[in-house]
Amino acid sequence: MIDRTPNYLRFLKVFGLGLWMLITLFPLYWILLTSFKRPDQIAEYPVRYWPREFSLDNYASLFQKADFAQYMLNSLTVASGAALVATSIALLSGYVLSRFTFRSKGAVMIAFLVTQMIPAFIALGPLYQMFTTLGLVDSRFGLVLIYIAMTIPFSSIMLRGFFDNVPDSLEEAAMVDGLTRMSALWRVIVPVMLPGIIATFIFNFVNVWNELFLSVTLINSDAKKTIPTALNGFISSFNIEWGPMSAAAVLTILPTMVLFAFASRWIVAGLTQGATKG
Amino acid sequence: MRKQFSAVLAAVSAVALAVSGCAGGGQANSDTGQVTLQMVESLTNPARTELIKGLLKDFESEHPDIKVELISPPTEQADQKLQQMLQSGAGVDVLEVRDLTVGPFSNNGWLYDMAADLKGWNGMDQLTDQAQQFTVNAEGKSYFIPYGFYGLSLFYRTDLVKEAGFDGPPTTWEELVEQAAKIQDPAKNRYGYAFRGGPNSAGQVMSILEAYNADNLDESNAYKVKDGSTIFTTPESQTALDKYIELFRTGSPESSVSWGYPEMVQAFTNGSTAFLLQDPEVIATVNDSSLTAEQWNVAPNLLGPTGKAAWPMATAGWGVTSFSKHQKEAVELVKWLSGEPSTKFAKDNSLVPILKAAGEDEFFKTGPWAAYVEMTSSPDKWISVEEPRGVAWWTEWMQRSEADLQKVLLGQMTTADMLKGWDQFWTEKWQG
Amino acid sequence: MMATPHKASRAIAASNRPRAHRPFTGRTAWTIVGFLAPAFLFVAIFTYYPLLVGGRMAFHQWSLWNLNETPFVGLGNFRTLIVDPLFTHTMLNSALWVIGSLIPQFVIGFLIALGLRKKFRFRGLYQAVVFYPWAVSGFLIGILFRWMFNSEFGVVNDLLMRTGIVDTPVPWLANPKLAFLAVIIANVWYGVAFFAIMILAALQSVPDELREAAAIDGAGRYRTLFQVVIPTIRSTLVLTVLLRVIWIFNFPDIIFAMTSGGPGNQTHIATTWMIQFTQQGQYGLASALGFIVVGVLTVFTGIYLALLSREGKS
Repeated sequence: MIDRTPNYLRFLKVFGLGLWMLITLFPLYWILLTSFKRPDQIAEYPVRYWPREFSLDNYASLFQKADFAQYMLNSLTVASGAALVATSIALLSGYVLSRFTFRSKGAVMIAFLVTQMIPAFIALGPLYQMFTTLGLVDSRFGLVLIYIAMTIPFSSIMLRGFFDNVPDSLEEAAMVDGLTRMSALWRVIVPVMLPGIIATFIFNFVNVWNELFLSVTLINSDAKKTIPTALNGFISSFNIEWGPMSAAAVLTILPTMVLFAFASRWIVAGLTQGATKG
Repeated sequence: MRKQFSAVLAAVSAVALAVSGCAGGGQANSDTGQVTLQMVESLTNPARTELIKGLLKDFESEHPDIKVELISPPTEQADQKLQQMLQSGAGVDVLEVRDLTVGPFSNNGWLYDMAADLKGWNGMDQLTDQAQQFTVNAEGKSYFIPYGFYGLSLFYRTDLVKEAGFDGPPTTWEELVEQAAKIQDPAKNRYGYAFRGGPNSAGQVMSILEAYNADNLDESNAYKVKDGSTIFTTPESQTALDKYIELFRTGSPESSVSWGYPEMVQAFTNGSTAFLLQDPEVIATVNDSSLTAEQWNVAPNLLGPTGKAAWPMATAGWGVTSFSKHQKEAVELVKWLSGEPSTKFAKDNSLVPILKAAGEDEFFKTGPWAAYVEMTSSPDKWISVEEPRGVAWWTEWMQRSEADLQKVLLGQMTTADMLKGWDQFWTEKWQG
Repeated sequence: MMATPHKASRAIAASNRPRAHRPFTGRTAWTIVGFLAPAFLFVAIFTYYPLLVGGRMAFHQWSLWNLNETPFVGLGNFRTLIVDPLFTHTMLNSALWVIGSLIPQFVIGFLIALGLRKKFRFRGLYQAVVFYPWAVSGFLIGILFRWMFNSEFGVVNDLLMRTGIVDTPVPWLANPKLAFLAVIIANVWYGVAFFAIMILAALQSVPDELREAAAIDGAGRYRTLFQVVIPTIRSTLVLTVLLRVIWIFNFPDIIFAMTSGGPGNQTHIATTWMIQFTQQGQYGLASALGFIVVGVLTVFTGIYLALLSREGKS
């Protein structure tokens, strides 16, 4: 494609993107810096932009005192499992909401939206009772179930939006060619919508990855804890342990950055694939 | 690309389902006759969790038939979680009970009364009077045994006090205001007092109000004076509050309007602020900071104009649930924790210890701890009083007093109006 | 069976088209039910059931201090809340919090998405870097920003003073107005990534042919953007904004960590106030406030969608 972007716009773009990157990166730099400082040098004043000496103590303590690798693995499996199932289920419901007109459609939309407005603590008591009865307290599987339920409404609404952007003609043509609705959806629409699906998946993943309230309440044993629980453990009533907490935050951010880097390839790749195949 | 994508999806889902699926269960009790206790802490911090785990290991080796599983939720979310567990009536045998939570927990029937089990317990006589007082409450019930006490005292910078030309740390509020104002020099990033304007600021406010009313306090309820009205009604309180606001204006950083615990402590440990009124837990934090042992010390709680101060204490301890299936073993653990190991717990966790014998310990007689010994040994100067920390509206009070004090600091409310409002609040609450 | 075939040229107006009402066959009905069923089961069991059971707290005197006796009080909790002077204050603050955060998030997010639409070297890396705030919990962001905005020791004032923008430290969190600004800055910083990624994904699904067709028709860069691209992804934009309004309204983490609603209660929003009630153990009041929030947002949603669909039809 020939790029006809005028120079002033190109300059604005580079400048704007660069500026925002700096703004975004600064707090990360600050976390990184803190994570490499020795405990007695963290709260130094005047402010220092470069540590006096690099120390790996904070990282070491994460793996010696706490089983941080295990927390990472727990978060990774719970978040990817829940996000995957929720996105798949929402693909179906989002499709129906976009493609069909039926009387209770508005009610369905509202029912999904309302779940986004409810404060979690109202449901917490009954949920805990239910999980006790089902023997799902202190189980990662139980946590995955509840996270699926938590992310489905958002995903359905978001995917409905992405379906709306894709003309009906695509799957209708495929169905005229003899495909069932399901296979038309999978073979024709999904490839075109891949950017949106990936974005929704990432959103779900991140949402679950950050979820603290339910994870704290429903998980007891150390070996099943997720990262947010571990991170919040560094905040106690009379202290914030900046050193190990920053180190833990850095380790939390890195895998998601890798995920974004990979996912962004697909976000960009989706359309060309669909267009050439569809 | 799509094939690649599907392959990744398949792999991820396989792993996720395998790992999360395998995770269930694991709760089954072994058939060996061994008892497993579930113990929940709530004032969690990583170092303390390590410490408790170490103690529990000792307990387990002394009691081979009892195993203890420690559950350590993060502090901020701990109460919420604990309430769910207690309400479900399962999964907790031993728990951390605080003076703030013993009321609701016992009201709801979640706590086991250990009074009968503690009769004839030889550990009881080893406890300090104060610890005994909390172990058996006014109605003769024992819902928890304290593991230690918290109370405010003055952390100060020996070097900064000397530089400013003073012989020693302030002993009265009057002197504190004077020294803080002298030391304060924002242009040099030097501040006098680490003021608390943020969450839970009432503790420090009450400290000065009680010191100024020390001769007139109702010792069983330091929010009241002897004639039965609230402490907020006396002229001494007006004087004290104005003094306290002067301390903010002349000797504290401007932004301390919003300072909570971390800001105060960090202002002290980063070397910029000379005075800090805080609980003994801070000792451990200051020890880990860049300040050297010669640079700081702890002085007794500040006195009022009549040379007296009140010394209210907060406490927390260990209790047993009413629905525990292993109450005998659970009580055994609580007794064990309240014996000899409690001194180690108090030392490593920086608490005023519960055992009389700890007073003889060299550790508590020297350095920063000397101030606490001094205070306990002169009960006529530092009057031991109780604050109504167990009332149902305590948290509401904390939130309200925080907002009101901030309004005064911002100049949106007068000190007289604040005292009037607080008097009204407590009077109405007490009348029900 | 299905109506409304689309021609590529007509697709320009695609998202504004009124969808033709399709007569159902039994099979279509089953498709609808079958496709919705899994989502509904999950939401019904794990969200609505506990919500309905827990929701009764709003109509009872439900306090941690006595859970054995929870008398029915009808609308008493709602009445207590509405007469509280903090009620109007927190509701207005909530609105300000949503508007003040959402508009900058949307504009910056849209611009970033536009900037990332075309391939350039290191684009993948750039995206990974710019989207990371999203992967950190709001509470942690709040704590971090609280420390960075500390007037005396924080890095924000240090940078402002080093660069000569201000002479004396700005009392960020000590002044109610500045504190509100600070929490909004933190929230904008935090939320831009969401819009950027969602809008980017939507932009990527706009076929290049559409743009090229518009260019051939002589439409300029901005006309193409506003008359072709934006209408095409309209549905995504509408829903993203709606979800985001709901989400920000209900997002207390940053405020709670940075100011706890202070100084002097002046940065409280409805949900931070609700947290205070739960901390007091006043679950009845807290859930009543939760229902009020749900009510306000549902009314907003209804009006928002109705206005947009009318506009879409005209």
